[in-house]
Amino acid sequence: MNIPILSTKLYIPQPRPNSVQRPRLIERLNAGLDRKLTLIAASAGFGKTALISEWAADCGRRVAWLSLDKGDSDPVRFLSYFIAALQTIKEDFGTGVVDLLQSQQPPPIESVLTALINEISAISFKFILVLDDFHVIDSKEINEALSFLLEHLPTQMHLAIASRENPPLPLARMRARGQLNELRAADLRFTPDETALFLKGMMRLNLTADEITALESRTEGWITGLQLAALSMQGRSDIPAFIQAFAGDNRYIVDYLVEEVLQLQPNHVRAFLLQTSILDRLNGPLCDAVTGRQDGAVQLEALEQGNFFVVPMDETRHWYRYHHLFAEVLYAYLKEEQRAQLADLHLSASTWYEIHGFSADAIRHALAAEDFSRAAGLIELAWADMRRNRQEAAMLGWLKAIPDELVRQRPVLSVIYAWALLSAGEIATVEERLQDAERWLEMADAHEKTESFLDGMVVVDKDEFRGLLSSISLYRAANALAQGDISAAMKNARRVLGLVPETDHLRRGAAAGLLGLAYWTSGELETAHHTYFDGMANLQLAGNLSDVIGGSIALADIRIAQGRLRQAMRVYERGLQLAVEQGEPAMRGTADMWVGMSELCRESNDLPKALKHLMKSKEQGEHTGFPQNQYRSCVAMARIKEAQGDFDEALQLYTEAEQLYVSDFFPNVRPIAALKAQVWLKQGRLDDALDWMREQGLSVDNSLSYLREFEHITMIRVLLASYASGLADHRSLPVAIEFLERLLKAAEEGERMGSVIEILIVKAFADQLESGTSAGLVPLQRALSLAEPEGYVRVFADEGPSMAALLEAALKKRIAPHYVRRLLTAFGQTEPNVPAKQPLSEHLSERELDVLRLLRTDMSGPDIARELTVSLNTLRSHTKNIYGKLEVNNRRAAIRRAEELGLF
Amino acid sequence: MNGEKEASNGYETPELYEIRLKGHLNDRWADWFEGFSFTLESDGTTILSGAVADQAALHGMLRKIRDLGLPLISVIQVGNNQ
Repeated sequence: MNIPILSTKLYIPQPRPNSVQRPRLIERLNAGLDRKLTLIAASAGFGKTALISEWAADCGRRVAWLSLDKGDSDPVRFLSYFIAALQTIKEDFGTGVVDLLQSQQPPPIESVLTALINEISAISFKFILVLDDFHVIDSKEINEALSFLLEHLPTQMHLAIASRENPPLPLARMRARGQLNELRAADLRFTPDETALFLKGMMRLNLTADEITALESRTEGWITGLQLAALSMQGRSDIPAFIQAFAGDNRYIVDYLVEEVLQLQPNHVRAFLLQTSILDRLNGPLCDAVTGRQDGAVQLEALEQGNFFVVPMDETRHWYRYHHLFAEVLYAYLKEEQRAQLADLHLSASTWYEIHGFSADAIRHALAAEDFSRAAGLIELAWADMRRNRQEAAMLGWLKAIPDELVRQRPVLSVIYAWALLSAGEIATVEERLQDAERWLEMADAHEKTESFLDGMVVVDKDEFRGLLSSISLYRAANALAQGDISAAMKNARRVLGLVPETDHLRRGAAAGLLGLAYWTSGELETAHHTYFDGMANLQLAGNLSDVIGGSIALADIRIAQGRLRQAMRVYERGLQLAVEQGEPAMRGTADMWVGMSELCRESNDLPKALKHLMKSKEQGEHTGFPQNQYRSCVAMARIKEAQGDFDEALQLYTEAEQLYVSDFFPNVRPIAALKAQVWLKQGRLDDALDWMREQGLSVDNSLSYLREFEHITMIRVLLASYASGLADHRSLPVAIEFLERLLKAAEEGERMGSVIEILIVKAFADQLESGTSAGLVPLQRALSLAEPEGYVRVFADEGPSMAALLEAALKKRIAPHYVRRLLTAFGQTEPNVPAKQPLSEHLSERELDVLRLLRTDMSGPDIARELTVSLNTLRSHTKNIYGKLEVNNRRAAIRRAEELGLF
Repeated sequence: MNGEKEASNGYETPELYEIRLKGHLNDRWADWFEGFSFTLESDGTTILSGAVADQAALHGMLRKIRDLGLPLISVIQVGNNQ
């Protein structure tokens, strides 16, 4: 996995030899194992970790452990560690999900969790997951994720949380439902017996009962206090005097006792304790780097032996950490006594971490040393890895800690900043950062310098600097698209394509993808399609298969707008095939393919299949969907409900889809508000529809654009309805028709046959209103001839009874009779549409059947002629005869009709 | 807002707070509780007084107190820093 996992965080601390056993608490913990959650909540120093590690050794279940730290507030990192922890008890746990977390756009946390919950319920044994130090987590997302996990927790798993404060989980509800087992400070305090046991047994102190009582009451059974007190007494001759003084003193206990303990230590030990207190984790060499001495490993071992609040973090006694509270107090002392050395100590740590490849720790210590230029340089070098590991949240936090003028001197860092902002959705300040970087590049150009020899400019990652111009343009294109500035998006994406070499597939793919989306947004569909397709081909070469699969959504959407439903279906099938080829676990994008195919099945009125596909997409799990998946699946379901005449349900689903909508750089060509307005019209809620028109600022004076096309078509429907109900004056109809004609012309010019069909259908109603049914049949006939070869059904059937009447009239006039008959069966029924097999008036000859079979392939006319060894002319007359007998007028319709008749 | 003063989202006027803790704190912790003065009371408590920029700063302060395991007795707002 990509996020470097520190195994020390997954290590289950071992109970200390001869530590105080706490059977009463272990018993209580075991008794709560059948509940969902164990919460151990108490301040620092109450022995939370020690207790759970004793329990882990003793509970008879497998235990996965995760010691949390501040950096784990990044949801992606948290989940990566969550999975890594479970992998310690089940090796192959969550492997597929890890890949998803690393993808360009990680799926929403809840869908990742759903996948993990499914995997947990497949584990064959019961286990406990311990989250230690949960109070360091400061993330709404993670808290919500855990609440969700607890809500759906499989019985295999028990969650145990240790924290200094109550975690923001639904504790009260869980308490009421008997799902929570709690131990709090009052339970954790040492009892007088435990106090005696501890002081005598573990710390080998000979104390009287009165002395023990005095210590116990002064510390209130607070374990850390007792341990510190014991350390302060070791080797003292005047213990009674010490206890008396301690009991009568009001000072903050830890302060008082640490002072006593430090006074007892020889100088070199004291210095070691203070200087190494800056470290979150300790090992011999790292301590040596910080102290400038060579006795790190020996010291650590001695401290552990002496019960000095040093906790081993692994089996091999390589990594240790100080007890948190002890470290805090030591650090306060260090700051008081050696303020001047602080920065140097942090720098030494930073250098050691950098050399040993721990870039995050190196950056953190550089920031603590306030050596911001060092931190900036480290960030620049760590960027590529962090981008791969999707740690932009951590990255952004660090960048914000660096003074601005320092960032501004660094073009590469400025671009990294822009990327981090863009990833976090903070798009308002992206451009500013890009301009900072650009100014340096312009200056470098002016001085004909390609390297960082400009006065005041700092570049650490020279490779990145060389490609910086294209990075700037790429992020600028993404930012422009996010803000709806199409021409800027195009300009910048083209610029990237002009700058990067053919071999830079990742940048080319990203840029071509953005450019394709921009063309699509502006309605230039054919250009959009091949540009986007080219982008996907590059991403495939770059190995970003998931993005390629997800890209099918855009390609199919474009095809649908062009009225090429069959090609759209093929796009999805290919996408699905690519996904299946990658094997298990399902790749991201798989769920989107099923939703897309469902939508196409719905259009051809195969509703059962459409539903089946939607189910299939749900089965794949939300985590295999791209950002729009949930919204699209909701819309698909709404349209099925609409087809079934269940308008209320459809509206509810549309409202839900509105909540789920994310743009993900896609043009919003069918706004949900317009889809809702169409349902209102069907329900006769004309006022609501008119309100919608006003809210959206729709009028026949609008200028036309592809982005508003669907809204405009819907607007005309509203205007026609209001004319038909006598609400509008007689002049409004010709105005609406004139607007329709403009819409039609624009759609034809953009070769958007999908839109053309919709517009012609509305026009059929408009012309019928104005001059009667036969006038309406003219645009209808055209719509039918465009729609038949692609197998459209719902686009007519969803119009309801008025369309049925028009189609009956068309049938009387022998307009596309087969197709119209088939369409008519789709009205007012929600059953799958089994086409009525009209017997042929004239059977096809053997030869004609041969031709028909070849027409079904992708072969061209001349190829078929060669295959059958006939001339092209002969072939033409064969096909003409076939079309005549089948009552169709083109190759695709012929194949469709022949399939219906079972001629193959 | 149940009669409380409405908090805005931006920077507010710094508010003066008094935070009472159990135990006497040494001056070396002044660094921790930036800008707060310490008063050691005869009942064995310490009062930290000072201005906090906003609610987020106050909560950061309380978190530090939590992390030192210092028992918190009271938090009182004593008017603003005018």
